[in-house]
Amino acid sequence: MKQKKILFALLAAALISSLALGGCAKKAKVVTLKVMNYQQADQAGYKEDVKIWEDFQKANPDIKLDMEVLFNDPYHEKLQAYAAAGTLPDVFYVWPGSRSAVIHEKKLAKDLGVILGTEYLKDFSAAATNPANQLGMYMAMLPQAYTYTSVMYVNKKLLADNGFEVPKTYAELKAMVPKLKAKGIAAVMLPNKDGWPMQSCLFSTVAGRVAGDAFLRDVKAGKAKFTDKPFVDSLAVIESLYKDGIIAREDNQVGYGEAAGIFASGKAAIYVDGDWRAAAYITDKSSGKALIDPKAQESDFVLAPFVSIPGEQNPGVVSAVAGCGWSINGALKAGSPEEQAAVRLVKYLYSPEVQAIRFATGQYVPTRKGVKADVEPLVAKVPAFYAENDKTCYVVDGVFDPAVYNVLNSGLIAIGLGTKKPAAVAAEIQKAFDAWKAAAK
Amino acid sequence: MAEGIPTGAAGRAAQAIAKAAAYALMSLFALMTVYPILWLVMNSFKTTREFQVNQLGWPAAPTLANYAEAWSYGEFGKLFPNSLLYTFGATAGIVLLSALAGFAFAKLGSRATRPIYGSFVIGILLTVNTLMIPLFIEVNLLGIYNTRLAVLVVYVGQGLPMGVYLMTEYIRGIPTALVESARIDGAGFGRIFRSVILPMVLPVATTIAILNISGIWNEFALINILVSKTELKSLPLGIYKFSGSLSSDYGKQFAALTIGMAPMLLFYLAFHKQITQGVSAGAVKG
Repeated sequence: MKQKKILFALLAAALISSLALGGCAKKAKVVTLKVMNYQQADQAGYKEDVKIWEDFQKANPDIKLDMEVLFNDPYHEKLQAYAAAGTLPDVFYVWPGSRSAVIHEKKLAKDLGVILGTEYLKDFSAAATNPANQLGMYMAMLPQAYTYTSVMYVNKKLLADNGFEVPKTYAELKAMVPKLKAKGIAAVMLPNKDGWPMQSCLFSTVAGRVAGDAFLRDVKAGKAKFTDKPFVDSLAVIESLYKDGIIAREDNQVGYGEAAGIFASGKAAIYVDGDWRAAAYITDKSSGKALIDPKAQESDFVLAPFVSIPGEQNPGVVSAVAGCGWSINGALKAGSPEEQAAVRLVKYLYSPEVQAIRFATGQYVPTRKGVKADVEPLVAKVPAFYAENDKTCYVVDGVFDPAVYNVLNSGLIAIGLGTKKPAAVAAEIQKAFDAWKAAAK
Repeated sequence: MAEGIPTGAAGRAAQAIAKAAAYALMSLFALMTVYPILWLVMNSFKTTREFQVNQLGWPAAPTLANYAEAWSYGEFGKLFPNSLLYTFGATAGIVLLSALAGFAFAKLGSRATRPIYGSFVIGILLTVNTLMIPLFIEVNLLGIYNTRLAVLVVYVGQGLPMGVYLMTEYIRGIPTALVESARIDGAGFGRIFRSVILPMVLPVATTIAILNISGIWNEFALINILVSKTELKSLPLGIYKFSGSLSSDYGKQFAALTIGMAPMLLFYLAFHKQITQGVSAGAVKG
């Protein structure tokens, strides 16, 4: 009897201690990850984004996400503050270029090329995994998308109704103007009140074709100047577009947000914008309405590169830039539970399932290969556009500092309004570049 | 009677024309102020699709869905009480501490008064941007990052320079004889502050409160770096979730802006008499 009691007591003690230890072990395994998410509440895919994070949390009870959600400038200001105080979150959202300069230049993020490994990264496009496409020349982040900033959205039906085909040359574009203008239709619409669209969505492609990336690199290295002929000629192309009436000077008073609706209402035959703008036309899930009906998206609209320009040196190139992506705090101890949890989260965010949701909601075309999603026709045309236009060039604002490209943006408006000549604008940009370089020394 | 001033019927006509012109001009200014607000409210009842094709007209089928979604996406239910706490808590702190400091600087001078007063007033010249990163590091070192205390302390600190300056200059205008006679009657400084100074500084206290209430309600840059948890944030941070250069849903964005603006409009409508009196009274030294 006594032996039985001892045995029972031992068993009970063993059970209690194993439960207690098990409980401790379980508790010890929960890792808290500080995450900074970049999220806009009125953007397509907001609800889906919220669910993406909730699903991860449910599927990974051993990781607790301590999320901070910000958007636009406040996000960047906070990231700067964290970087300055040395308290960066464990996982955060980063731009490949100057917008997240502090992360790249001070190497505050882990090298994802090393931490994710070549086997994992082989499922992504070569442009996305090329460290040369990031400011710090190492893989501080993995671009989720490779964005083409210059796309012609063409209303093929409207052109056909007026006896035109999708234009391929500048001359064809110019020839359309009189007839369309007589009917109150703009040949090409490019809203530029905000300053950046002309530079980002058209001029960068023109500069890439007329001057070329090598020229811009030479300018940056001080071996060439903005006042040299190739750059002035690029600006002159923009001047011609306005002079020939292809783009109306009034477009410099049209806000970026207004243009999508104007194009959808048939007041312009062609609309120049970035590939991301396709999402503006798809069906709004809350109202069930679309700016362009999906059937019309399929039959009446095409995406095309900007027409060939007389005298271009690099025919067919289109401006493109690596998109944003996720980074892991470089201060996380190698092999630590925090680092392992961060890697698990990052791999989840780049998983085919999550990327398919991003693609389906029209946010971007993923750099992960083979992602399939049920998307509306205009969005489905974007990857096809990529495939047909694989030669890319720089986006000027991805190469130069805001102190320089802001002068270019203003100069392009002045050219558009007819108040300044290309040579004068080029001189102003060179002056701004010289001042920036002197200040940076 | 001065020559050249028309009298009789002609004079009345000229006066009426001048009055009409003045009214027309003032109506124009009023319209320029009110129209953007009306435009915002009107468009907050449209779907984004309708807004994109009809930006100036009345909504064809007004919807409240934008408000419901903006409230839910922006998590305004959590942010609203915080905004109230930060705005009124910090304003009360600023007014009270400014009055105490102003009394000391104006009536209880010592050798330390000038440098201490100067150190307060110089704060008026400092911009928020120059303080952001040092403040962030400071609240981290103090261990109060991500707390309501940090927000309140920083807001009070930010409002004090102007508050102390206005209060000190106002109290300087109060006759020192009042303080001295109270001292002779045996009142301590605390009693003098409560019974003599405080009732007399109400006009400037109102001015300071008005300046700070609208400023703190709309404050964005500091709170953005002082907290990261949603449950500690204020309305401007929630509203900012809806604004972007590539914004795609204007309906929700306008609804969010209207929600953020409404309390201040209501505040003005409820207290416009006191606000007008407070601003004009506080602008004149006592």
